[in-house]
Amino acid sequence: MESLGEAGIQALRLLLTGDPALWTIIGISFSVSLRAILIAAPVALLTAFALAYARFPGRRLLVALFNTALSIPAVVVGLTLYMLLSRAGPLGDWRLLFTQDAMIIGQILLSFPILVAMGHAAFQATDRRAWETALTLGASPWQALLTLIHEIRFGLMAALLAGFGRIIAEVGSSMMVGGNILNHTRNIPTAIALETSKGSFAQGIALGLVLLLLALILNLALLTLQGRGEVTA
Amino acid sequence: MNDAGPVLAVTGLGFSRSGRPVLRELDLALDAGRITLLTGHNGSGKSTLLRILAGLLPPDRGRWHIDGTPGSSWQEVRRSLLQRHCYLHQQPYLFDATVFDNIAYGLRRRRVPRREIAERVARALRHVSLEPLRDRPARALSGGEQQRVAIARAWVLRPRLMLLDEPVANMDKPARRRSIDLINRLAEHGIAVVVTSHDPQHGELRIRRHLHLYQGELSERRLRTEAASASH
Ligand SMILES: Nc1ncnc2c1ncn2[C@@H]1O[C@H](COP(=O)(O)OP(=O)(O)OP(=O)(O)O)[C@@H](O)[C@H]1O
Ligand SMILES: [Mg+2]
Repeated sequence: MESLGEAGIQALRLLLTGDPALWTIIGISFSVSLRAILIAAPVALLTAFALAYARFPGRRLLVALFNTALSIPAVVVGLTLYMLLSRAGPLGDWRLLFTQDAMIIGQILLSFPILVAMGHAAFQATDRRAWETALTLGASPWQALLTLIHEIRFGLMAALLAGFGRIIAEVGSSMMVGGNILNHTRNIPTAIALETSKGSFAQGIALGLVLLLLALILNLALLTLQGRGEVTA
Repeated sequence: MNDAGPVLAVTGLGFSRSGRPVLRELDLALDAGRITLLTGHNGSGKSTLLRILAGLLPPDRGRWHIDGTPGSSWQEVRRSLLQRHCYLHQQPYLFDATVFDNIAYGLRRRRVPRREIAERVARALRHVSLEPLRDRPARALSGGEQQRVAIARAWVLRPRLMLLDEPVANMDKPARRRSIDLINRLAEHGIAVVVTSHDPQHGELRIRRHLHLYQGELSERRLRTEAASASH
C-alpha cells in the first residue's frame, strides 16, 4: 500500500498526462449526468410551475412530498430501480439493468425532486403582475411561461446546478443499476469506490480531485447566480 | 378611427368572490377616443372590473359585444379582450430587461418584423420622451419613468382600450402632469381609456364621463364643467 503523499503525486500525474482510462471514466460520468439533467429539467420545471401557479386540491401535499423526496438516499432509489429492472422484475423485459440508460433513469429520479423543489421556490417568488403583464401584452400562455422563466433565470440555473451536483457525485444508484462495468458504466463515484476497495488510491484520489474541482466550480457559479438574483429582485 | 359604436359593450356583468358579489349585473359601454373616470371606495371592485375587461379574470356572467361583434364563449371573448385591451397595474411591472426590450415585448410576441419593431419602439419612446433611456435597464428607472415605459409598451400595440389602474396615485406634481398629458394623448389617438381613482379630482385629465362603483353597481356621475376642470 502506497502512502497518501505518493498516491497524491501519482494522482496528479495521471490527470495531467491525460491517462486514457481515467478520462474515459470522467467522460462517462459527465455524459450520463448531463443526459439525466437534460431529460429531467423540462418536466420538473413544468411541474414546479404548475405547483406554484395552478390551484388544485392536493397541491400543498405534493409540494411536501417533493420536499421529502429530497432526502431519499441514492441507494434506496438504486435498490428500488434494481428490483424493477432485474430479470424477474416488472420491467425486466426492457433489459436495461447494468446499462447507461439504467443509470440515467436513476439519476433522473434523484435530480427530479431537487429541480421541482428549487424551481417551485423560484416560481413562487415571482410577481403575479409579471404573468398578467405578459398576457395583457398579448403573449400566449406558453409565451408568458417563457417570460416568467426568463424573469427567474438565475434561480432556475441555481436549481439545475444543485441537481447536477447531486447526481454527478452519487454512488449508490449508479453502482446498483449500472454495475460498475469498465468503459461502459463505470463513472467517477463508482470507480473511486472500486479503487479504494482494491487499495490503489492514486486513481481514486485523482477522480476525487476532479469531483472536488467540479464542486468548487458549481458552488462558485451558484454564488455568482445568487448575487445576480439579489440585484435584479 | 371607426366611430361606428362602442369599442366594448357588456351587459349583465356579474362577479363574486368567496360567495360575496363584487359586481352585480353591470352594464357598460365604452367609446373610442374617450376617457372614462371610474371612482369607488377601497375594495369597491374597481381593479376587479378592469381585470375582467382586460380578459385577465373570468367573470361569472356577462354578454359581450367587442367592436360590435357579439362574443359567444368566454374562451373566445377572452382572446379578443387580451388582444385588443391593455391593463396597467397601479405599479406597472417592468420585465428584467432594457427599456427598449420592454416596449418591444408585445410586438415580438406578435412576430412583427425586426425593422418595423425598431421603428415603432422609436416612435413610442419619442411619444413618452424617454429616448435617452432606450438602453437602460428598465427596473433602474424612477416610478414616474417606469409608468411612462409601461404606457409606451401598451401604446405601441395600438390597443382599442387601455385600462389604467390608479395611474397617478403616489406621484409628485410634475410626474403627475406628464402622465395626465400622456393619457390625454392616448384618447386623441382614438383609444378608449378607463382610469380608476378613489379621488375624483384629476386636474387636466380630459374626462368625458364619470362612473362611480358602489356596492357592486355602476352609476353615472355628472361631470364638473369644462371651465371648472380646465382651471384646476
Ligand atoms: N384575490 C382575491 N381574493 C379574495 N378577494 C379578493 C381578491 N381580489 C379582490 N378581492 C375582493 O374583491 C373586492 C374588490 O377588490 P378590488 O381590488 O377590485 O377593489 P378596488 O376598488 O380596486 O380597491 P382599491 O381602491 O383598494 O384598489 C374586495 O372586497 C376584495 O377584498
Ligand atoms: Mg384597486
